[in-house]
Amino acid sequence: MTFLNVALLGGMAAVAIPVIIHLFHRSKFRIVQWGAMHLLESVLRKNTRRLKLEQLILLLVRCSIPVALALLMARPVITGLEPLLGSRKMSTIVLLDNSYSMEAGGASRSGFLQAKEAVRQILESQVQGSDVAVVRMAGGVSVLLDEPTQDLERLKAEVGRTGAGFGSAAVPDALDLARVLQAKLQNPDREIVVLSDFQKVSWSEAEEPARQAMADQLRRGRIEPRLTLFKVGQETTDNVSVDAPLDLSPLILGVGQRVRVHATVRNHGDAAYPNLRVVFRVDGKDRSVTETALLPRSTSQVLFTHAFDTSGSHVVEVYADADPLQADNGAMASVPVWDRLPVLLVSGDPNPEFLMGETDFAEVALRPYGNAKAELADLISTRTIEARDLDAKALAEPRVALLANVSQLTDVQLKALEAYVREGGGLLVFPGSKINGPWYNSTFHGGGKGLLPLPLASLAGSMNVAGTHASIVAQHFEHPALEMFNDPRNGNLSDAQVRLWYRLRDETAPGKGEERLVTVLARLDTGDAFLVEKKVGEGRVIQACIPCDAEWSNLPVRPFYLPLMQQMTTYLASKVYPPRNVEVGRPLLASCPSPTRASAR
Amino acid sequence: MAQLAEFLTPGDLRKITSLQVLARTVVEGFCTGLHRSPHKGFSVEFKQHRPYVHGDEIRRLDWRVFGKTDRFYIREYEEETNLRATLLLDASGSMGYGGPDHSKLQYATRLAACLSYLMLQQQDSVGLVTFDTKVRSYIPPRAQTRHLHALVNELEGVKTGGETEIGKVFHDLVPRLYRRGLLVVLSDCFGDVQNLLAALAHLRHARHEIVIFQIWDRDELDFPFRSWTRFDCLEMGDKRHLVDPNHLRESYLANLEIFRADLKQGCHRNRIDLVPMVTDQPYAEALAHYLTLRMRRP
Repeated sequence: MTFLNVALLGGMAAVAIPVIIHLFHRSKFRIVQWGAMHLLESVLRKNTRRLKLEQLILLLVRCSIPVALALLMARPVITGLEPLLGSRKMSTIVLLDNSYSMEAGGASRSGFLQAKEAVRQILESQVQGSDVAVVRMAGGVSVLLDEPTQDLERLKAEVGRTGAGFGSAAVPDALDLARVLQAKLQNPDREIVVLSDFQKVSWSEAEEPARQAMADQLRRGRIEPRLTLFKVGQETTDNVSVDAPLDLSPLILGVGQRVRVHATVRNHGDAAYPNLRVVFRVDGKDRSVTETALLPRSTSQVLFTHAFDTSGSHVVEVYADADPLQADNGAMASVPVWDRLPVLLVSGDPNPEFLMGETDFAEVALRPYGNAKAELADLISTRTIEARDLDAKALAEPRVALLANVSQLTDVQLKALEAYVREGGGLLVFPGSKINGPWYNSTFHGGGKGLLPLPLASLAGSMNVAGTHASIVAQHFEHPALEMFNDPRNGNLSDAQVRLWYRLRDETAPGKGEERLVTVLARLDTGDAFLVEKKVGEGRVIQACIPCDAEWSNLPVRPFYLPLMQQMTTYLASKVYPPRNVEVGRPLLASCPSPTRASAR
Repeated sequence: MAQLAEFLTPGDLRKITSLQVLARTVVEGFCTGLHRSPHKGFSVEFKQHRPYVHGDEIRRLDWRVFGKTDRFYIREYEEETNLRATLLLDASGSMGYGGPDHSKLQYATRLAACLSYLMLQQQDSVGLVTFDTKVRSYIPPRAQTRHLHALVNELEGVKTGGETEIGKVFHDLVPRLYRRGLLVVLSDCFGDVQNLLAALAHLRHARHEIVIFQIWDRDELDFPFRSWTRFDCLEMGDKRHLVDPNHLRESYLANLEIFRADLKQGCHRNRIDLVPMVTDQPYAEALAHYLTLRMRRP
């Protein structure tokens, strides 16, 4: 026997009340000087024992009232009597395996159809008042209709709409959810039914301890549910899958640029595929086919390259033409393709002479082909303006803005820039000799509330004195913008010599419970931050400690300058928000641009 | 016609502290309304003749004088008593029930005073015995009016004493009451009924006529206690019982009924008048009963 509401058992303490009342009355007696004692005494002699017995019974009855009340309010549940009681109200949790493998056996007689039929039968066999929860085990464990329901007809319809083909079943997670759902069930008679094909993928031996732990937890609950395992379909030994998500490169794609699609083909079964055809499809059309050899229980990598000829959103798919279990034979991804990537360069020190202007090196780095008058396409298009021309209109089109040695901005400009970043724009900030340091620190950084990731502390190094120069620490970069420099063939960041730089006041130590907003991407060998990044709204700001021209360092004349600038720009622009390729079970977000921004566009 | 004294309850008379005044108030108030004056008496000595007037009873005509004189004369008698009444007043502990002002003993003493006064008014002789475990005092019967002082003085000094042993006391009394007469017992008669009846039978055997005014308090008859109560014995201080009276009432009342029935039956068998008196009843009722009894006598 168990109690659904154990806390109320505390009410049994009320058993003391009749006893206290009895003692209270006893202690509050009156005294009578009595004459007719011979009449009373014979009564007492005769009745004492009977009275004591009566009083004892009365006390027991009175005491049992609060006890019985407390017991009843604690909702006692007697389990184990179900066979004697016949059909009665039950609470059932159905764990429905909707993984890929459940679709094996063809659309008409797949394991999942059998499972759905079984669920339908379970639902139909419930008596009025029973509640049922159906948990999907694959593709992110979730409950149909969000919680257990007594509306079995609605649940039946919902089950009918449910499809299979969502990766592999997360058995421990499903059991854990069942444990959580138990608390919401209404009836004491509980059953958990697992409908699955018990594929090795989902019910692997590695997960055995986790499953055991969850089962133990279920068993330790206040009411131990009965567990029924119901095998549907046949275990398919023959299965090939393509892993999702697809590995796409690079960060951002322009029209005509080649995308490389890496896909991992996995053989779960025991059959060998010496010549497995793997098809690459773009927007549903076969583009290329490759053959790969796939041994039993092994994986193989395939690589496809493709150049899109139109901009916009494209769907790429890698499909392995293998077993009848179609659901996991392919993996798809959405790829946004840009026709061009507009970048706004804001120069604080313009100079008509070539390479003497503040943004000239950056422009060359961002548009190498355009500057060389070559035939090749530049994805990035640049537009250079002076600081005073910066306004909301100028910011309407570009996806990345670059501030180079801009002395300071007016309040209107700053406001426009802030709105631009918050709505998903990227911003690169380079200091220089012309900047107004106090404005940068007080307004642009604004004590951490502004756009600038870190405030400027002081100038370090010197232009002429040797030995005071610094270089960038070549380390293993985690950041996607710098990742490519982990490969020495793409250039070595430590080659560059930095003569003069702004020391950034690194105040990034977060308080307790605060999210670290500012990330240091790279450092100088003096320990000072070289590149820092801050997330502002939906956009990002990257701040450097040196200018983007060759005034303070020889960075712009190093080979890695071009890829560095391109990487940073594409990184800032590649923020596709909300993400297009989401995993199963993750929410899919869509954002509506605010009316002002929409009209500005 | 209603009698004035019937409306005088002990509560009304409580303020009269002098027993003598009380007795006179009660008795004269009582006698005022009687149809037949008790002053005429029943066992009387011839006093004088007087001419018959209209309304006199014919049976009281002296026919011998009529034979001699051919006139109607009525024989008048001087009152004279041959009644020797002894009041036996129980002063045991149990008579103390009801508190100092309302106790059964107080009621009994006042009733005794009233009876004494009434009896002395009728030229009967009255004696008084007070007792508890044994005889406390004994005033032999006298018929003089001033004897009332002695009786009243004694009554005023009565205090409750120890345990009732009424049977033993009555046995002891038999030799002292050597002349037969009327014994008026004022007691609650608590104790063993058989013992009491045996003693009464002994007294009856000595050819005493006995009337018992059994004094009750209303509480003893109704047992009105509700909450937890400790009953402390009035006669033996160490006897105490802490009980919930609600559970006992029924049994107590049944027991009381048996006790009263036993006593009544026993008294009836011995031709003893048993008159239960409750302390809130007017004294006059006792007096009326006495007079009824007195009229029965030759």
